[in-house]
Amino acid sequence: MKTLWDKFNQRLLERSFNILIPLGAILLAFFVSGLLILVRGGNPLEAYAALFTGAFGSPNAIATTMTRLTPLLFTGLAVAFGYRSGFFNIGAEGQLYLGAIAVTWIGTTLTNWPWYLLLPACILSAMLVGALWASIPGILKARRGFNEVLTTLLMNYLALQFFEWVIRVDHVNPAVDQKWTFVNWIGLKDVTQPFPKSAFIAQAAQLPTLSGVVQSPMFSFLQGSDFYNYIVNTPAYQRFSLSFLIAVAAAVIIYLLLFKTTQGYRCRAVGVNPIAARFMGINIGRTTVTTALISGALAGLAGAMEVMGSQYRVIPGFLVNAGFDGIPVALIGQLHPLGAILSALFFGALRAGANKMQVVAGIPTAMILVIQALAILFAVAGTTIDVRSLLRRKSITKSDAPTAEEVPNA
Amino acid sequence: MLEQFASIFGSVEFYAAIMRVTTPLLLAAMGGLLAERAGIVTFSMEAMILMGAIGGVVGSGLTGNVWLGLLVAILFGMLIGLVYALMAVTVGANQIVTSVALNLGALGLSSILYNSIFAQAGGEVVQEVIRVPSLSTWKIPLLGDIPILGNIFFNHLPLVYVAFLLVPVVWFVLFRTTWGLKIRAVGEHPHAADTVGISVVGVRYTTILIAGALAGLAGAFLSIGQLNGFQENISAGRGFIAYTAIVFGKWQPLGVFLGTLLFGLANALQLRIQALNLNIPYQFLVAFPYLVTLIVLVLAVGKASWPAASGTAFKREGK
Repeated sequence: MKTLWDKFNQRLLERSFNILIPLGAILLAFFVSGLLILVRGGNPLEAYAALFTGAFGSPNAIATTMTRLTPLLFTGLAVAFGYRSGFFNIGAEGQLYLGAIAVTWIGTTLTNWPWYLLLPACILSAMLVGALWASIPGILKARRGFNEVLTTLLMNYLALQFFEWVIRVDHVNPAVDQKWTFVNWIGLKDVTQPFPKSAFIAQAAQLPTLSGVVQSPMFSFLQGSDFYNYIVNTPAYQRFSLSFLIAVAAAVIIYLLLFKTTQGYRCRAVGVNPIAARFMGINIGRTTVTTALISGALAGLAGAMEVMGSQYRVIPGFLVNAGFDGIPVALIGQLHPLGAILSALFFGALRAGANKMQVVAGIPTAMILVIQALAILFAVAGTTIDVRSLLRRKSITKSDAPTAEEVPNA
Repeated sequence: MLEQFASIFGSVEFYAAIMRVTTPLLLAAMGGLLAERAGIVTFSMEAMILMGAIGGVVGSGLTGNVWLGLLVAILFGMLIGLVYALMAVTVGANQIVTSVALNLGALGLSSILYNSIFAQAGGEVVQEVIRVPSLSTWKIPLLGDIPILGNIFFNHLPLVYVAFLLVPVVWFVLFRTTWGLKIRAVGEHPHAADTVGISVVGVRYTTILIAGALAGLAGAFLSIGQLNGFQENISAGRGFIAYTAIVFGKWQPLGVFLGTLLFGLANALQLRIQALNLNIPYQFLVAFPYLVTLIVLVLAVGKASWPAASGTAFKREGK
């Protein structure tokens, strides 16, 4: 008979993820959605073929998939890290928008900075702003026991509306005669544009693309080769941004942080069972705030990478729902940082291929929402049932204290 | 500027607007409260409202009968409730996670349904709102003729009265009936409730289905009550606000009512201020009700005390 303490430790040390559950869930989701497509009078195979070519069929399609994947991976990591550590961050959407604002502001204001100062300034500012915004629900939870689901949810609306306002306020532009006021100091809108868009961020603040890297002096030895000509002459490679690699690196870093450091151990202990964690001498409040800061910084990076690596400016409705979609990305990735990479790939591909599916097979893009929803439901059901049957096999009765997962409000 | 603000509070229409804005929140929150009291987290009300909204339009648009529209709205809301109950009660899956999935799925499903049924050939996305037969206001005889008060309280769509009457009804059910006692027992200590012969699963299924039906009505109020049609994401977060109101009201019917009323008041106020064309950015006004809710939640309400078994799956021991 295992003791409560053994079980706690067992769950705490669990660091692998079962890839069969999400894969099975995704397949099942495609199958059930296929039935729905059949009912509508469509051909599921044709639809999925179009979806697949739209996501992976050409360098351009792959570039689109990678562009869609990057912010989702960051928000997925934000949610997964938070959830593992007992802080369910529903507020990635708001943190992401604030991160994007910070990057755009710096990228369009400090235009005379060299790249080696501007790039870190942009990235750090987005992390800082996202972390600060997330720290409010973190502190409220740590100090006064406020449920973070509620506070992060409400704060999304505030951040979103702030974003919508800020891109409609003129940004100070030295070329245009403008008075400095606090309001236009904070604004982002390009004064020379009739529509609410920001100016493009300075070249130095934009992350290099594959095509740009190949053409840089460092790779001058490649010039004239077939590879060089292929890369430079294919427009799609101008869209392969470094932001994708940064996202994958972030996933690895979060994996190491969560599973190989003391801080990660503390975070996970609080996530598994805060009461047991307190008995281990862990400061719950401080750990919760740290978790909120890290989670918020990751979400802020999602906005930063989209601006620095893909769109180079902000527009209204920029990255709609990428923050909320971090939740399903994290869940299908089994709340594991490395699982999130695969799951973000699935989500990015769905998004990239949805248009093609609509054009070729006449299936509305809303179908991908249904596929995602079913995939989460099946994955969650799979995880729950799996754990239970495992417990039963080892004949452990469920009379022990509830785990943190079972008491989300503790 | 001050005079203009004062004029808002002096207008009958403002108070009637508060009633209207509060109604969908109240319908959803009162149903949600029953399920919450039984230990179920009702983060999935957004999905129920959305499906109720499309259900109302489908029922009313296809049959031409508004009341059948309401019925379909209830059924669609309950359908989401059934899936939710299956996942949360029978499978025992994490409730917030399941809710997130349902909210996502309802967003896609409602849009697909709408386009399949109402779009012209070729599956084109409809730009304009297609009008379907909708509910009309029902002025209560005698009471509706009272000057001022009649127009504020007794000259509304029928669902408005239903919503406000639900507050005493839910209070009565929860605190004055045996079934209410069972609901609370299941929410506080499911194992104890099980021991004395209460069906934990039965109570949870029933309350979730009631929550689904009422949230479905809330959706119908938005679609075939106010808009007379459907648009994508018509619920616009009202399910989350209803959920916030439940926490806000500390799981007490009166408190939950005040929570929805606070949001309704803030929202009606910002809509009126928008109409005044003052020099306040539109986005600040839209954010205002959320800000007020957050501030009041943090400053005035304080730490919430959840039903003890909230969010936990129930499983009999010794199996």
